[in-house]
Amino acid sequence: MAQPSLQNTENPHTVEELENLAFELRSKLLHLCGTYEGAVHIGGDLSSADILTALFHHGLHVDPTDIANPTRDRFLLSKGHAAVCMYIAMSMRGFFSYDGIVDTYGQLDSAYGMHPCKVQLPGVEASTGSLGHGLPLAVGMALSARGRGESHRVVTLMGDGETGEGSVWEAAMAANSYELGNLVAFIDRNRQLMTSFDEERVFLEPYTDKWAAFGWNVVHIDGHDMGALVQAIDALPASDSRKPTVVVCETVKGKGVDFMERNLAWHAGSLGAADLDRAMAALQASREKESV
Amino acid sequence: MPVTFTFGEMLSARSVIGTTLAELGEDYDNLWVLTPDIGATLVEFRDKYPERFVDVGLAEQACVGVAAGLAYDGNIPVVSGMLPFLSMRALEQVRSDVCYPNLPVKIIGTHGGLVGNGGSTHYAVEDLALMCALTNMTVTSIGDPLMVGEVIRQSMTMQGPIYIRLAVGKKDKVLYEPGEHEIRIGKGIIARQGTDATIFTHGTVVAQALDAAAELAKDGHSVRVVDMFTLKPIDEELIAQCAAETGGRFVIVEDHLAYGGLASRVADVVADRGIHLTAFERLGIPQVYAGFGEDEELRDKHGYGLAATIAATQRVIAAA
Repeated sequence: MAQPSLQNTENPHTVEELENLAFELRSKLLHLCGTYEGAVHIGGDLSSADILTALFHHGLHVDPTDIANPTRDRFLLSKGHAAVCMYIAMSMRGFFSYDGIVDTYGQLDSAYGMHPCKVQLPGVEASTGSLGHGLPLAVGMALSARGRGESHRVVTLMGDGETGEGSVWEAAMAANSYELGNLVAFIDRNRQLMTSFDEERVFLEPYTDKWAAFGWNVVHIDGHDMGALVQAIDALPASDSRKPTVVVCETVKGKGVDFMERNLAWHAGSLGAADLDRAMAALQASREKESV
Repeated sequence: MPVTFTFGEMLSARSVIGTTLAELGEDYDNLWVLTPDIGATLVEFRDKYPERFVDVGLAEQACVGVAAGLAYDGNIPVVSGMLPFLSMRALEQVRSDVCYPNLPVKIIGTHGGLVGNGGSTHYAVEDLALMCALTNMTVTSIGDPLMVGEVIRQSMTMQGPIYIRLAVGKKDKVLYEPGEHEIRIGKGIIARQGTDATIFTHGTVVAQALDAAAELAKDGHSVRVVDMFTLKPIDEELIAQCAAETGGRFVIVEDHLAYGGLASRVADVVADRGIHLTAFERLGIPQVYAGFGEDEELRDKHGYGLAATIAATQRVIAAA
């Protein structure tokens, strides 16, 4: 089945361009984290930044000028606490104004808050935030698409921690039972919960085997390797195929800022002026190191 | 197939759900029916519209979440199941996935109250308190089996979510002659006229309240019975009207916790509007896990059966 082409496929981004966009996304995240007084879930934002860049600038067939187009791909942020990362990724794709996000984030009557709200911000597909809710919603949207004979995909991004919620596995069974090949779940496998590292208290492993055992098509990649993300997206089975796909993305919480990486203290926080400079310098250094 | 019935006859409310949904499936090509492994009576819809019937198995949370996903995409999902589980196990999905974005998901189910003899895991006795607390939710509790069909029909054009509570729905008394009352979500029904006192009630015990009023009439008491089948939004005008017309003498009887259900809704209106009452009694389930027994036995044991209703009404009538 041909995918509807809402995105500018004539001039697709190169992997290098996508990497630059991801760098810009991280810089903007840190900037917001430095200007907003309250806590930002910066650790899980940074671990999701490459995935969201790959989705909004390469994978998703969406049109920022026509947000209700019935043939658009649906994207649900199941890990709703990474909302700001999604808002900024979407602003870079043309959905929202970045200044609007930075100037109003978390303030009274702002559309941009800690967890996305469909009512206040119609450009997002669903109100999320409570963990384990995105996949059931995505199953419903995928069933709806199937029912109408539409060929778009429904894509969700979960954190690995939230897959401790039973509702995720209820929905995983439903997706398999209803053969929803139009459903794709990306998992930000940063291996950290809020207060501990995954395998310290909760054994998620053997992780990919669990998804395979639930009948899903499993793809396992480095979630910070833009080339791998692009390849995984390009290789997704057709939306009329019969198996849902999970893309387990190995990531690092706090990715790109050395003092935040794999540091439980940076699940959420805010940056003072000095820390912001330090974080920006670390991000720059990390980029130079990786481009060597 | 149209439902045929006789006034006073027993009819299965569940069969009315099944028939109504199968009918509506024709008018609304975006109507979906979902269930967590409940619903022999949904067979008619399932057979007619298999592509719009979803059974996720024993997974109430996913069931409600999937319904919300369907609703986001412009569909009208009806979730049918057992209310203790839909109202509690899936409560957060109902609240955050359905009510928060104000999606038109209809939740309809059985086992509201001490019915079915399943024990306390299988009685929904807190459900109305929980549902009434949710912003955007419309809350109903139906006794008359034919009303179920009418409420489902009206709910199709509602923007937001609705909760429709039934008892067991296997054998329910037809209470009203067709066309006898205007049935409108948000409006109470004066099921029996009277001037000495008003019994407010809903659901399965409406029939019991009518029996109580008939008994009291033998002693010359004129008792009004209001079927307040919509608990939210509550019919404030009718409450004020009944206070004025029945001497400010109220009895509330319900198959739900005595605190948190209709009695509390009525008391809120009375307090907020400064309505003067002469007497107010509430009969319902006390703070106990009720145990086993037939419906009527449990109502008697826990103080909201027929005899208790008659006695309470006599007391409010006698109150100075």
